[in-house]
Amino acid sequence: MSEPLLTVENQRTAFATGRGLVRAVDGVSFTLERGRTLGVVGESGSGKSVLSRSIMRLLPPNARSSGEVRLGGRDLTAMSEKALRALRGPEISIVFQDPMTSLNPVMTIGAQIGEVLTRHLGMSRKAAKARSVELLASVGLPQPDVRVDQHPHQLSGGMRQRVAIAIAIACEPALLIADEPTTALDVTVQAEILDLLARQQAERNMAMILITHDMGVVAGRCDDVAVMYAGRIVEQASTEDLFRDTRMPYTSALLASIPRLDDPPHRKLEAIAGRPPDLIHPPAGCAFSPRCRYADDLCRSQPPALEDAGRGHRFACWRPMTMEAAE
Amino acid sequence: MADITPDRLEGSSAGAPDDNADAIASHNRKNRLGLGFWIPLAWLAVVVAAAVFADFLGLFPADEIDWMHINEGPNDAHILGTDHLGRDMLSRIIYGARVSLTVGFAAPLIGVGLGLVLGILAGYYKGWVDEVIGIAIDTWLAIPGLVILLLFSVVFGGSLGMVCLSLGLLFIPTAARITRAATLNHSNREFVLAARAMGASDFRILTVEVLPNIIWPLIAFVLIDIPIAIVIEGALSFLGLSVKAPTPSWGGVIAEGREHLEGSPHISLIPTAVMFMTVLSFNLVGDAIRKRLADVRDGAI
Repeated sequence: MSEPLLTVENQRTAFATGRGLVRAVDGVSFTLERGRTLGVVGESGSGKSVLSRSIMRLLPPNARSSGEVRLGGRDLTAMSEKALRALRGPEISIVFQDPMTSLNPVMTIGAQIGEVLTRHLGMSRKAAKARSVELLASVGLPQPDVRVDQHPHQLSGGMRQRVAIAIAIACEPALLIADEPTTALDVTVQAEILDLLARQQAERNMAMILITHDMGVVAGRCDDVAVMYAGRIVEQASTEDLFRDTRMPYTSALLASIPRLDDPPHRKLEAIAGRPPDLIHPPAGCAFSPRCRYADDLCRSQPPALEDAGRGHRFACWRPMTMEAAE
Repeated sequence: MADITPDRLEGSSAGAPDDNADAIASHNRKNRLGLGFWIPLAWLAVVVAAAVFADFLGLFPADEIDWMHINEGPNDAHILGTDHLGRDMLSRIIYGARVSLTVGFAAPLIGVGLGLVLGILAGYYKGWVDEVIGIAIDTWLAIPGLVILLLFSVVFGGSLGMVCLSLGLLFIPTAARITRAATLNHSNREFVLAARAMGASDFRILTVEVLPNIIWPLIAFVLIDIPIAIVIEGALSFLGLSVKAPTPSWGGVIAEGREHLEGSPHISLIPTAVMFMTVLSFNLVGDAIRKRLADVRDGAI
């Protein structure tokens, strides 16, 4: 079998702060094949976004990064900033959470898309503008020939996110990272944007990493799901396996916290007690043990390793659940 | 009660849009550029046009001495009179405007241009770049401005270029600080990260993404500095530290007239009045434009 599109090997990213070293991503490994979708799920502060920036090599100066990120056989961690610039756009790109801030307020939509096209594909301004209109049409923006000359403030949040997606896919990247692409949007618009991403992905045979805190978002749209907690992947499986055969209590707790349509009214919402751990002084054992109702002494003293239990279902837990235990 | 409710409803629903329209109309009236903008602008247009086209206005040469007509008040031959050497006042004031206007525009542009480069680098790269630039600016600020101007005048003599440069240097610190603050604010925005994520270089990010977002406060700063530069140049001329005689400059003409204030006050008073009107006009026009810029930024227009 040929090498996967993306291989992340033991990626660690920490930030030097006044209080100490924050281990935002703490030894993450996974692979992603061409055209596949990986959902990365976790609470705020679980390291999802730092992981995406570590893959893009877009880290602030106070970040300490180690590990290996290989994209199409090239080690991104060993590349110069100049070589990386040539890759960002045509090989790998990203859609950010908040389209209100990820577009430049003083540039027209067309200029922002066209900039990428002229830089990476060497298009003339005229050709770039024509292509921008096509791209805007393909992401479902109404009146693309009018919108292309408008500024971001003239567009709604959903439209702006469509523009951000158009920019991200402009150079046909092999890998698209969507970092909570729907968090800042209306519920009704969320589904449209997710469908748009799925359609673009299928049409262009892109691989996608869909980062979200919403289990409901990954359910129907990802081939595989990785659950992150305190900077580590704690469970990873095909979407079907993860939902049907949940092993890690944290994943189970996340699933249980989704309100169900057939619940009786006024039923108390399941919440996970406690708060995510301090990433400067993480717990000695399993990071989830302080909040886990199954935790015992072993869980509190030794961190479990991420192990493959067959069919690519990986989880890090000393007391894995079986479906009976969950019920 | 049943009787009055519909009335009140009607009244309020009819009144609300009117109030609203009134409010919008009064806002627009308030924002309209009135005579306080157009009259000063017209004056500036006249001064600038006269300075630019001075050679084609059929004026007396600015340095033509005429001993037969010294210290004359305004008359048919010399509309604004003559000075103590019989030189035509109108001509000297118009040619003097060239100096004042050149310094007025060039010095702020030099200062803001250099300050912009320093400030944007400090604000974007932070860290040691910021420290070095910060220390350099603090050091520069510790030297009194008048000393710098004197030094330039003594070392380089009174060439117009050097006057512009030395004055411009004085505007660097404030311009750099304004730029740095605005750059700090904008370089942390997500669209800058987004641009990097699409492969933009630092140069590209600074010129295409950051600069257009921070240019407005700098333009406002230039507008404030133009009249300041004109006044300072006038003071330098008065002290004889600006362009050398016989090149006329407003401050220089005022200084020459000082000796003849009793007999021929027009020699000092006319250039003073012209300078006063010009500086006031720049301030009024600048204020109006800055107010407009603020409205644009607030999204009112």
